[in-house]
Amino acid sequence: MVKLGEMKGFTFIEKIIKSHANVADYEICPGNIVWVNLDLVTARDYAGPQVIDLFQENYQDAQTFDNERIIFTPDCYPYGNDPKHAIDQEKIRVFAKKHNIRVTDLGSGIGSHLLFRRGFSKPGDIAFGADSHYNILGALGILGQGAGDVMLAFAMKTGKSWIKIPETVKIELKGEYIWPTTSKDLALYVLKQLHDYGITGQAVEFYGDMISKLSIEDRITLCSLITEASGVIGFIPPDEVTAEFYRKQNIEIELLSADENANYVSELTINIQDLGLYVACPPHPHNVKSIEEVLGIPINSIIIGSCTNGTIADIREAAKVLKNQKISPEVRLGIVPATREDFVSAHKENTMTVILDAGGNFFGAGCATCAKGQYGLTGGETAVTMTTGNRNTQGKIGPADVYLASPVVAASTAIEGKIALPKLRDD
Amino acid sequence: MGKEKISGKAKLVKVDDIDTDQIFHQSLLTIHDPQEIKQHIFGNLEGYENFAKENHENRILVVGKNFGKGSTRQQAVTGFLAHKIKAIIGVSFGPIYYSNAVNAGLLLVEAPGILEFLIDDFDVLEIDVKKATILNVDKGNEIKCNPIPKPALDIMEAGGLLKLGDKM
Repeated sequence: MVKLGEMKGFTFIEKIIKSHANVADYEICPGNIVWVNLDLVTARDYAGPQVIDLFQENYQDAQTFDNERIIFTPDCYPYGNDPKHAIDQEKIRVFAKKHNIRVTDLGSGIGSHLLFRRGFSKPGDIAFGADSHYNILGALGILGQGAGDVMLAFAMKTGKSWIKIPETVKIELKGEYIWPTTSKDLALYVLKQLHDYGITGQAVEFYGDMISKLSIEDRITLCSLITEASGVIGFIPPDEVTAEFYRKQNIEIELLSADENANYVSELTINIQDLGLYVACPPHPHNVKSIEEVLGIPINSIIIGSCTNGTIADIREAAKVLKNQKISPEVRLGIVPATREDFVSAHKENTMTVILDAGGNFFGAGCATCAKGQYGLTGGETAVTMTTGNRNTQGKIGPADVYLASPVVAASTAIEGKIALPKLRDD
Repeated sequence: MGKEKISGKAKLVKVDDIDTDQIFHQSLLTIHDPQEIKQHIFGNLEGYENFAKENHENRILVVGKNFGKGSTRQQAVTGFLAHKIKAIIGVSFGPIYYSNAVNAGLLLVEAPGILEFLIDDFDVLEIDVKKATILNVDKGNEIKCNPIPKPALDIMEAGGLLKLGDKM
């Protein structure tokens, strides 16, 4: 209860919503729906064309709310792999030109990543896009949310959206882990705990000593699996790591934090001391098992990529394991860098050569294994997949089983042709 | 919409964690015609592959927890509107799915106790929006559901979010 004379405290998400809504403090409470002004509205080549159709059907030749606060980020479908997608991508370019809207065109990479890699969005902002993993932006303290066609068409016209203020769970990560455990194992382990705990429709805030040691890429991975627990978003309040990341882009940020007397629906401590390696097994991302339980399962299609684990940090982890090794002749290993920047880094620092020498292949920057037409999908009952992505729903990537794991485990599995523990071999 | 009571015959799909890929598979994302979307609903949900071929007009769908988790795809809502489903009652819904449904005018009702509530297929259910209750007319039992937020009702009353955009 709030005592007289004491200011009401707000959680991280409540603070962001409060600064974007024209409402009284008492209206900022879980369950309430408020209208917010958006800092950024985006769409990509999968929902974008329908957003454009809805915009034009409903608002004809009206202007958008602000052309500089809209970006089209075609990242779903590779360059010219299907005439249907090519037509959709062209529709985006034509509309964008008409309204003078920025397009990060094919080969630029995954929109959600470009938002922070290119300084389009900063901590404390609200960004909406046609991507259910926009909440990975919580890793930088940005309120990113995925939205459907109707919401986005409305948002491009008005710059507004409604949001149901979620309850927030405060999570303390206790302890530390060491390599070969990486942030993907942390993310999978936390997903399992949170799915069992139940965070549907709730936000979470992550705290703990380990957080300050996590890079931006690690944080993205951790926050990317909140969607798979049906949570709204996971936040890592911006700290010196975040500030330094933006400073390199000549952007000074405010270190926004939740109030000390914020109201959390619950608090949960997750022990991550000496965490092992984990694999999400079919048919759900939350079906997370210790690698020891699944060692030896044959895998023949492996993808390192996606908004969860497609950065240079992830590619580097895979290269560490693949150095001077050959992948199994039974395995197809594809690397899909998250952004062009990640691709360029892999090339410059030679991790690309290491992986090519080992028998892996690189494909254009963008999304992977999430939708029809993307890299990494399979056909037939015998193509069993391991991906560093975020979903393994039965039938999504192909008819056969799909496992989710870290780039380290994906690389060691590629060498053996079956789920295997990573080894660092001598040069 | 606009009525305080909504009734229809129950259609049970009591499965937890139904993902958008099970409602409307990702291989179909270039389809946008509601009548065509309709033919694929639950096409990737084991045991319900024939759902799309059946007539569900005026039915009230009863689902488990976390319904509609996963992707932002609007088709996973459009398909039920095309089937003329009146409402979906579930323990809980994926947050993006919830907003997509409200924006398009599909009523979602959160009822945490719905799985323990005795319902058979084709029982007549009556949702009282104002009282936040669900009555099983055939069995004569009633449970509480979560109140439907006023802004959500306003959007549905206006005929969907896009209509509001005209005035803003």
